[in-house]
Amino acid sequence: MANIAAKRIKREFKEVMKSEEVAGGAIKLELVDNNWTELQGAIAGPPDTPYEGGTFLLEIKVPETYPFNPPKIRFMTKIWHPNVSSVTGAICLDILKDQWAAALTLRTVLLSIQALLSAAEPNDPQDAVVAKQYRDNLCLFNLTARHWTNVYAGGPSVIADFNQKVQRLLDMGVEEHQARVALSTYDWELERATEQLFS
Amino acid sequence: MAGYFEEMGWRELDEGEQPDHLLHMARFLMDFGMYEDNFTGEWPRLPPPAAKEAVKNLNEIVIDNDTTNCPICLKAFNSGDKATKMPCNHVFHPACILTWLDKTNSCPFCRYELPTDNEGYEAFKKEKKRAVQRKEDIDTLHNSMFS
Ligand SMILES: [Zn+2]
Ligand SMILES: [Zn+2]
Repeated sequence: MANIAAKRIKREFKEVMKSEEVAGGAIKLELVDNNWTELQGAIAGPPDTPYEGGTFLLEIKVPETYPFNPPKIRFMTKIWHPNVSSVTGAICLDILKDQWAAALTLRTVLLSIQALLSAAEPNDPQDAVVAKQYRDNLCLFNLTARHWTNVYAGGPSVIADFNQKVQRLLDMGVEEHQARVALSTYDWELERATEQLFS
Repeated sequence: MAGYFEEMGWRELDEGEQPDHLLHMARFLMDFGMYEDNFTGEWPRLPPPAAKEAVKNLNEIVIDNDTTNCPICLKAFNSGDKATKMPCNHVFHPACILTWLDKTNSCPFCRYELPTDNEGYEAFKKEKKRAVQRKEDIDTLHNSMFS
């Protein structure tokens, strides 16, 4: 790895560790390898959002050309959000693409991703299905996001109705995550989800 | 009142001049609403490198007793270090900022834009400025009629 990238990541790592966000538990950063090319981030779901109470892990890959090119970041924890792919965890955020600037740091990027959880951008979606639900049925979107936070990110809100519907599909032999995606996609209408899964 | 072509910044091609395809593309994208609306349109990728001339003319300074870091490599400046100062007053190691400006034209700290050598991008910026001006004109007209 190019010298400047590794050196900078080391300096950033120190900065993050001293930051008040780490002290307050809002963000976390850990090394995955000893070459400073891969890290794991974690952000706390912001208060007053469906993600509250959840912890979301992020995969961070630092390119050799860092900081002249942005880090590659995706959600490892499954999340229901218009700007995150519910399949791959890919994030649609301008500063990770054409609005990247070399003075941005892992700390500012993690905080921006956390801010994205508070304020989705449904007009610039990464996941069209989620974005459609966000626009057409915000109430159901919030419930679905809360349910995913509970199941995948350790959030506190158990939504019994959704759990029962997932269980119904499990009883039919459907894999759990597949069942949850189908139900979430079809606004938790069991019949339509079943139809899609078995068609 | 200025003529339509003048107002749009258009002119006839000179003898033997080729049409500027990048300029046409920029106009096409804006006219067909590729951006949310004409007034907040963004260039669809990282803006092009800073113009060579503009980079050559950046101020070289010597750090006296500075306690800040270079925002690109995050290393602390030492007294006596040579540094490059952008027009926005942000200061970087010469090698750090040159590498960045070779990629895109703005200050990595505050996004202050240097000119570029890319005609398409410059045309796009001009169109955007003109769109803002048009909107202001319409607002002024609207306010003078309805207030
Ligand atoms: Zn530097
Ligand atoms: Zn600046």
